[in-house]
Amino acid sequence: MYKSFLSWRYLLARRTNWIGIVGIFLGVGAMILILSIMTGFLGETKNAVRGSLSDLVIRPDFRTRIDGSKVVSDPAKVLEVVRADPRVAGASAQLSWFGLFTVKGESEDKDLIFSDAEFSKQSGVRLVGIDVADEFQTSELKQALAREPLHGDTRVGDVEHPFAPPPGYDPPGRKLPSVIVGEQLARNWLLHRGSEIEIFTVPPGVSLEEIGRDTSAASNKAFVVAGTFRTQENEMDLGTIYFERNELSKFLGRKLDFTQVLVRCKDFDRDGTAVRDEVAQKLLAADLLRGTRSMRTGQLTEVNTWEDQKGTLLGAIENERVLMAIMLSLVVLVAAFTIFAILSMMVTEKRRDIGILCALGATPGGIQALFLFIAFWDALLGATAGAIAGTWLALKIDPIEQWLSKSIGVQIFNRDVYLFDHIPAIVDPRAVAIIVLGAFVCTLLFAFVPAWRAGRMHPLDALRHE
Amino acid sequence: MSSTPRPAPAPATATHVLSARAITKSFTIGDRTLDILHGVDLDLARGELVSLMGASGAGKSTFLHILGLLESPTAGEVFIEGHSAWKLPVQERASVRNQKLGFVFQFYHLLSELDAVENVLLPAMILHGRGAYLGKQKALRERARALLVKFGLEHRLEHRPSQLSGGERQRVALARALFLDPPIVIADEPTGNLDSATGEKVLELLLAEQRERNLTLLLVTHDERIARRCQRVVRMADGRVHSDGDERAKE
Ligand SMILES: Nc1ncnc2c1ncn2[C@@H]1O[C@H](COP(=O)(O)OP(=O)(O)OP(=O)(O)O)[C@@H](O)[C@H]1O
Ligand SMILES: [Mg+2]
Repeated sequence: MYKSFLSWRYLLARRTNWIGIVGIFLGVGAMILILSIMTGFLGETKNAVRGSLSDLVIRPDFRTRIDGSKVVSDPAKVLEVVRADPRVAGASAQLSWFGLFTVKGESEDKDLIFSDAEFSKQSGVRLVGIDVADEFQTSELKQALAREPLHGDTRVGDVEHPFAPPPGYDPPGRKLPSVIVGEQLARNWLLHRGSEIEIFTVPPGVSLEEIGRDTSAASNKAFVVAGTFRTQENEMDLGTIYFERNELSKFLGRKLDFTQVLVRCKDFDRDGTAVRDEVAQKLLAADLLRGTRSMRTGQLTEVNTWEDQKGTLLGAIENERVLMAIMLSLVVLVAAFTIFAILSMMVTEKRRDIGILCALGATPGGIQALFLFIAFWDALLGATAGAIAGTWLALKIDPIEQWLSKSIGVQIFNRDVYLFDHIPAIVDPRAVAIIVLGAFVCTLLFAFVPAWRAGRMHPLDALRHE
Repeated sequence: MSSTPRPAPAPATATHVLSARAITKSFTIGDRTLDILHGVDLDLARGELVSLMGASGAGKSTFLHILGLLESPTAGEVFIEGHSAWKLPVQERASVRNQKLGFVFQFYHLLSELDAVENVLLPAMILHGRGAYLGKQKALRERARALLVKFGLEHRLEHRPSQLSGGERQRVALARALFLDPPIVIADEPTGNLDSATGEKVLELLLAEQRERNLTLLLVTHDERIARRCQRVVRMADGRVHSDGDERAKE
C-alpha cells in the first residue's frame, strides 16, 4: 500500500516531477497533433497522386508474335473475362495515342494573341478513345463532364451522350466527328462548343522514315469540339482530348482497337490485389496476354493496380510518415530522459527515506516499485493530458489556425498554395494508442535504472550519516 | 566498576525472543580489514529491559544493526523467536523487521512528506496490501491517533516533522516503532539528541510502554542514570561484551 501512497506524496511534494510530466505531455501532444496533420496531408496527397487512375489497368503487350499473329486485337474477349469476376464493378476499353492539334483557320489570330513562346501554334495532346457507357462505370468522366467549368459554360449539351454534335452545329456539307477537350485546353486556345480543330498524328506502325519519304503517311483530320470536361487534375484538363473509340481507331487507320482496359472493383482496398492476380492468370490462360514479367520484380507487368503504377511515390509518402514518427519519438525520448534524471536525483535525495522504509520492513523489490510508481504517475498524467490535448487540437486545428491567423495577422496556412481548402487532420485512434503506450514503455524503461538503484541501496548507508 | 562474570552462552532456545550467537563483523576499507565485533553473544527474554553501554566506537550501533537485521554479520547467527533470521529469504526478513522489531533512532528518522499520523501508520502500510489497508484504514488511523494522543501530541496530529520539536519527533518515532505491537524494540541512543529534561520525558514514555506491553527493550545509552533503571546492563568494549548482569543489586 505504501508504494502508491508514498509515490503520490513524493510526486506532489517534488515540483521537479512536474517538469517530467510537462515534458511527456508536450511530447505526446505534439506527436499526436503533428502525426494527425501529417496523416491528413499525406492522405490528400495520395488522392492527388492517384488522380484519375482507375483501380486496375490491363495493358496487353501488343508486340506481334514471330508468326505475325497479334496476341489480342479485339477488347471484347478481355472485357468478357474481366467482367466475369463478381468483385469487378465495371470494365472499359480505351484507345490512347498521342497527337498534335491546331485550331482550324485561326492560326494568324493565335500568333497575335499568344506571342508567348509557351503557346506555339501546335500543342501536343493525349488522344483517348472511349466507349462512353463503359467509361462512365470505370472512371470519373461523367462527373468531370457535369462539373461546372471555371469560366463560362462550355459543357457538352447532354452528359449522357457527350459526343452528340454541339447544339447549333449545322455546317453545310459533311459534318465533322465530335471530340471533348479538357477545360483548360479549351480556355488556353479559346475553344468553345462548335470550334473546329485539326489533329495530326503518326499512326501506330508508321516510322518517322516513312513520313520523311512521304508525308501523307501521317494522319491529319478535322474535328469539332462538342464540349469540355473538368477533372480538376491539371495535366488531364490541359492535355487530353476524348474521342469515340471507334472514331479514333478509324483516324489511326484501324491499326489499333484499344491500348488498355480499365477495371473498377467493388471494393478496391479489400480485393484490389487479389482481383489483379486472378484476372491476370485468367487472361494468361485464355491467351490474351503475353505474360511479360518485370525483370526486377518478376511480376506480370500487363495487369497493374493504380498503386503499382505509383508505387515509388506512394512509398516515398509512407516513408515520410515513418521518418516523421521517428523524429517525434525523439521528443518523447527526451521527456523520458528527463524523468530518468529527475528520478535519479530523487533517489539520491531520498536515501534516508529508503533506509527508513527498509528498517520498517519494506523489501528491496517494494522500494524499487515505489520509484517505478512515481514514473508511472508521471507517464499517466503526462500521456493522458497529452493525448487529450493533442487529439483536441488536431480535431479543431482549422478553427484554431483561423483564429491564430486572425489574431496575429499572419496567414499561417495559405489555402491557395495547397490543393485543399482546410488543414486536413486525421486522428488515428490506433496511432494515439501506440504513442501513449510508447510514452509509457519509454518512461518506465528509463525509470527502471534509478528504481533498481534505489532497491539495491544498503539500508545503513542510507541511514547512517545525518 | 564491578560486574558479574559473563555467563557462558547457552544454546538459543525458544524462551529467548532474541538471541545472538558469536557475532563477528569486519569492514573492508580498501585493502584493510577492520574487525569491529569479535564474537558477541546475547540472549534477551520476553519482557526484559536491557541497556547496552560502552565507549564510543565500541561497536554498539554495529551490533544493534545486526540484531535489527539491517546489516549482515560477517559470522554468527541472530535468532528471533527461535528462527535464524539471516537464513531467511529477503522478503521474510523484511517482514520480521516489520512485525517483530521496532526501531527508535537517535535522529528520529521520520518521513518529511508525511504528517505525524501518517508516519505512525507507515509500518501498517508496509504490512498490508492496498485492499486490506483501505479496508481497515479507519480503525488504523484511529489507533494511530490514540497512540499519539497518549504520547501527548493531540495538537500535533496533522503536523509535518519539520513543524515538530525534537522531543515531539521522537515521540512520533516511538509511536511508529510501537504501532504494530512488536515484541522487541531496539533503541539506539533515543535521547541522545535531546536536552536532559525532554529526554527524561521521552524515556519515561518508552519505559512505561515497555512495562505495559511487556516489551523486550534493548537500549543503547551513555547515561548511567538510565542504565541504573534497567534490570540488566550489557557493557561492551572493543567489540566484545565484557560484563552482563543486573547492576542494581550491587548498589
Ligand atoms: N560501514 C562501516 N565501514 C567501516 N567502518 C565502520 C562502519 N560502520 C562502523 N564502522 C566502525 O566501527 C566502529 C564501531 O562503530 P559503532 O557505530 O558501532 O560504534 P558505537 O559503539 O555505536 O559508537 P557511538 O557510541 O559513538 O555511537 C567505529 O570505529 C566505526 O568507525
Ligand atoms: Mg552508535
